Amino acid sequence: MDEVGSPAFRRSSAPASSSIRTETIESLTDLEDLERVYAQLCAEEVEVQKELKVLSGQQSTIETKMLALQRIGPNLQLIEGDATQLSGMINFTCSLAENVSSKVRQLDLTKKRLYQAIQRADDILDLKFCTDGVQTALRNNDYEQAAAHIHRYLSLDQSVIELSRQGGESTAVDASLALLQEAEVNLKALVTKRLEEAVATGDLPQVERFFKILPLLGLHEQGLAQFAKYLCSQLASKAEENLLLAMGSDLSDRRAPLIFADTLTLLLEGIARIIETHQPIVETYYGPGRLYTLLTHLQKECDAQAQKVVEKFIQQRDYCNKFQVVQSSMMRGVSVEKIEPRELDPVLCEVTLMNSRAELYLRFLKRRISADFEVADATATDSVIQEHQQCLERLLKDCKLSCTIQELIGYYIPMEEYYMRETVNKAVTMDTAEVGQLSSSMVDDVFYIVKKCISRALTSGNSDCVCAMINHAISVLETDFREVLVTKLRAGYPASTLQDLHRGVTSAVSLMQSSLQQGKIQSLGIESQEQAKTAYLVTLNNVQVCSENISTLKKNLESDCAKLFSQLAGSEHAQAKIDSCLSDLVNTSSKLKDLLQEGLQELSNTAIKPQVKPWISSFLSIAHNIEEEEFSEYEVNDPWVQQLVVQLEQLMAEFKAALSPIIYDTLTSLMTSLVAMELEKTIFKCTFSRLGGLQFDKELRSLVAYLSSVTSWTIRDKFARLTQIATILNLERVSEILDYWGPNSGPLTWRLTPAEVRQVLALRVDFRSEDIKRLRL
Amino acid sequence: MEDYDYLFKIVLIGNAGVGKTCLVRRFTQGLFPPGQGATIGVDFMIKTVEIKGVKVKLQIWDTAGQERFRSITQSYYRSANALILTYDITCEDSFRCLPEWLREIEQYANNQVVTILVGNKIDLAEKREVHRQRAEEFAEAHSMLYLETSAKESDNVEKLFLDLACVLIREAKQNTLDNNESAPMPGEGKNINYLSCCNIN
Repeated sequence: MDEVGSPAFRRSSAPASSSIRTETIESLTDLEDLERVYAQLCAEEVEVQKELKVLSGQQSTIETKMLALQRIGPNLQLIEGDATQLSGMINFTCSLAENVSSKVRQLDLTKKRLYQAIQRADDILDLKFCTDGVQTALRNNDYEQAAAHIHRYLSLDQSVIELSRQGGESTAVDASLALLQEAEVNLKALVTKRLEEAVATGDLPQVERFFKILPLLGLHEQGLAQFAKYLCSQLASKAEENLLLAMGSDLSDRRAPLIFADTLTLLLEGIARIIETHQPIVETYYGPGRLYTLLTHLQKECDAQAQKVVEKFIQQRDYCNKFQVVQSSMMRGVSVEKIEPRELDPVLCEVTLMNSRAELYLRFLKRRISADFEVADATATDSVIQEHQQCLERLLKDCKLSCTIQELIGYYIPMEEYYMRETVNKAVTMDTAEVGQLSSSMVDDVFYIVKKCISRALTSGNSDCVCAMINHAISVLETDFREVLVTKLRAGYPASTLQDLHRGVTSAVSLMQSSLQQGKIQSLGIESQEQAKTAYLVTLNNVQVCSENISTLKKNLESDCAKLFSQLAGSEHAQAKIDSCLSDLVNTSSKLKDLLQEGLQELSNTAIKPQVKPWISSFLSIAHNIEEEEFSEYEVNDPWVQQLVVQLEQLMAEFKAALSPIIYDTLTSLMTSLVAMELEKTIFKCTFSRLGGLQFDKELRSLVAYLSSVTSWTIRDKFARLTQIATILNLERVSEILDYWGPNSGPLTWRLTPAEVRQVLALRVDFRSEDIKRLRL
Repeated sequence: MEDYDYLFKIVLIGNAGVGKTCLVRRFTQGLFPPGQGATIGVDFMIKTVEIKGVKVKLQIWDTAGQERFRSITQSYYRSANALILTYDITCEDSFRCLPEWLREIEQYANNQVVTILVGNKIDLAEKREVHRQRAEEFAEAHSMLYLETSAKESDNVEKLFLDLACVLIREAKQNTLDNNESAPMPGEGKNINYLSCCNIN
């Protein structure tokens, strides 16, 4: 009871003593203070009493709880006894378990040692067995068996053998080890020697026999080297035989022009066949990843043999000499010695064929070796894979065959360029225009030649070679050939002075002027003038066909290249290069289009403008300041426009027949512009009455209707100003213009400036200039 | 429409092993591949740069220096807007061959081509065999620009290509200006450049 009550007591007394100390009370002298303290103390007393009451209220519950606790007491003693007993049992079990497990551990160790002992005994037995076996096998010349024993010995754990030496039975093991080592050295020497002998005599079964034994003795490199040596010797004899055959072959044979390409093909196919046949053996006995080693040996022989073929080719075909002649004739332009391009044809074909075979072969090697490395490097690190990749790249890039072929192509390109240039020149000189044909023979000839040359380069399978030939082709088309077309156009279209005389419209002055300018052409007869005309028109057609042909050529080459290079690995880069070169052809095509435009403008200036101008100015002689009577007469007898239409029709008929539809259309469009421009100039020199304006409107309508019928271009735009002029000339009053002008213009867009509108209004004799001035436009 | 204002072809030429491929790699990919093998034929890279808001697509043709590829590389001269003639400052031989290269340029390139002489490998300063002044004089005598670079340390590589692009833009602008001056009067059609000698009106 006390114990429970004491904290409560302390709790309540502690604040009482600390809030107001006895000393503080004693020291108080002031009444006010005393009263305040007293009141505080009274309040505290009430508080304490309230707490006391609560505590005494709890007394009965606490007593009941105490009784219950006293009743539990004896039970607790029972539990304590049980716990002690349990603890003793657990301790006992624990020590027992530890005892057992230590015994198991000992057993385990013993077992392991036992196994090691057995392994060692086995190894020693193996060693002994091997020692005996090797000796018997060697005695029986059973190299396979002996090698198998040595292989077993080599695959024994070296540390075990070392350990055995330190053991008690060292002398016995030492002896057999010594024997084995001796046997190993002997066997290696013997087998290597035998293999060498077999290689030397070309004894295939023996070669294969010992070739299979060497990897068992750990002599992979030697084995592959010897085997390669054997294969090389086979290759060499076969290649020499083929080359001899080639040299002695009949010149009239169908394949004679390609005999060196064929010989090279035989050589490369031979190697491919060797790989096909022997790769399985190598893989079985030497494991994957060894093909590279074998092929580095073989490639040396391949290089040597290919070199021989190429040398013979160069010698027999006079390749270098031809190249030098071509080179010098291209450098100096005119040369004493010149090769007929046709002579180069076969040799160019042969070279590209050789190149394509070599490319094919190198791709085959790459594919095979990569596949072999892939199998071997399945679990290898990235750096190993990369190193193998680099080795392979180096082998293919640095081999003599690659270099030799690249050299051949290096000579080929200038020769092919020469062939193209010369043949194109020839096509130009032999150019003929058949009657009834719009363009002349050279256009198609030139494109046939260019296509042939690039296609031949394409057969080489070498993307750089193709690109170079595309570049040269562009150069030939853009400079040489374009120059030919430009020169022809520069000769000009002869002005038709005689026609002018017939028509009797040209003034003497203009006739004199044009004859001065065209002195040369005028001295020619009518016939040659006609020829010059035809030549000019044909050239225009030629330029257009060329520009189209270039686009076609580009498209064809694109698909050809895509077809050829799509199967190759890493071809995206080659494809991008070729595409870039081909895209330059588009520029060439558009340059020709510009030339065509210039040529047409020239034609329009010389042949159309001088004729059309007087026809249009004859408008001046037809009065448009007319009354009813004249208007009706004009209605019956057209004074001007019908004749103009007939004249234009006649003028253009000649061109319509001689020009391709597209060019003719462009020319008509030029003519239409010219007519519009000249007519506008003329109008401003005339005067009009109201009916004259109406007359002009009618004339303009029939002219526009005619011109619309002869061209596919829209001409409304070209005649927009004239139509608006006609509208103005047709007005009743000056002020009527305001119905069409400014906010009232509706869908009409005025092409005339306000000043021009006034100018046109002034052409009407019946409009007063004050009214026109007063207009607010 | 492709996304550039100008397209220029730049062709790198010079002896084998002077570092043409490394210059191109450094510029286009930011790499310096050690142990770079000899280039076979011609290599081709594209990089688009922006200079003062003008997008310039540079088509860079990296040619093989070895003699046997000469006839392939020569075919690229004619359409080139610029040639980068490269030599190795640590190799007197590569400098001595320059006149030969200039003869090639003379023979095959168009006459508006911009040529810049580049001395590469200045990171190997201690092995220098060709003095800067000598090269500068040579370049000036043949009216070429001159720059020394290090593809390894990336010195002046950006500058080389960007300067070149600037020069080419300037020339291209000059050309269009010239063309515009001779442009036809409106309504008269296009002027005749090739046929003007016999123009009759």
